Amino acid sequence: MSGDEFSASDDPRAQALDGALDGALARALTPPALTPGFQLRLQAALARERASPGSRAASRTHAQREQRERMAELDAGYLRLRRRTLGTLIGGAFAAGAAVAVVFPWLQDGFGANAIYVLASAGALLGIGIGTASWIGRVRIPNPFERL
Amino acid sequence: MQSVPADAAAQDRDIVALLQTGALEAAFQRTLARYQDKVYRLCCTLLRDPTAAEDAAQESLVRIWKAMGSYDGRASLSTWIYSITRNRCLSAMARRRELASLSDAAVEAEAEAQLQQLDSGGSEPQDMSAALRELVDLLPERYRRTLVLFYYEDRSVSEVASMLGMPEGTVKTSLFRARAALAEQLRRRGLDDPRQWLEAGR
Repeated sequence: MSGDEFSASDDPRAQALDGALDGALARALTPPALTPGFQLRLQAALARERASPGSRAASRTHAQREQRERMAELDAGYLRLRRRTLGTLIGGAFAAGAAVAVVFPWLQDGFGANAIYVLASAGALLGIGIGTASWIGRVRIPNPFERL
Repeated sequence: MQSVPADAAAQDRDIVALLQTGALEAAFQRTLARYQDKVYRLCCTLLRDPTAAEDAAQESLVRIWKAMGSYDGRASLSTWIYSITRNRCLSAMARRRELASLSDAAVEAEAEAQLQQLDSGGSEPQDMSAALRELVDLLPERYRRTLVLFYYEDRSVSEVASMLGMPEGTVKTSLFRARAALAEQLRRRGLDDPRQWLEAGR
């Protein structure tokens, strides 16, 4: 909005006065500036506010809210982990049963009555191997049930 | 009429985004950079006293800092900041009992009396700008606030409307009436020759 937009008159002299007045007002009404010490006073006031009991209470409330959110995240992660572990166990049991059903007749042909001991030993060795590998974290065995 | 610059709107969006992520301190620092001077200018306009305005601006900014976590985005950021500032200024005015006790009618009556004193040559302004500032100070309060902020804020009607919490149409009407009142006073004082004003600006 300029001086011309202000002018409601068709009189050229009035329009000229409006234009001149607009310029004169712009020169006369210069924005005031903050004093140099304002920043320091403001920072001091903010520091006092941060240290005040009300502010500490607000900070405590904020920290409690953050803690609640973090606990909720941990709970959600724990539930996900439990579901995955359960899925792995069930899947592993089915896979082991299927493997025994396939391999046992072949073991019986080779080892006769000792086939059951061979199978148990092989299972124990496999379990110890997987456990050891998981424990020391050196061997990464792909988990086929990871998405469960 | 000027609208809110795109850059200013983008700065506001950045501040709101920081608030939504919980980065209150960063949001406040950006708010200070963008609004500190505007808050002071609004306080100056409302309180008409630079010292009281600095105090009110400081209180407003501290209040804004304290309330930043509860900003819910229902109002625009500028509207929220300016309403806090106006409330602090109203509190400051209420503390100054001598001003609070004066009604608008009393202020306008006082302004009229001072105008008559000026008309009768009771005051000798040093230059055109000083004369103009005196006349602006004597305008009815709602016109004076609108006019002063209009020039402080680089002739932005939308910014003045946001700062004073008024519709833009009301701001335009106030500006028109303020300038008409000024022009009338200039005519009464024999200062209605545009050349005088143009020469005064050189």
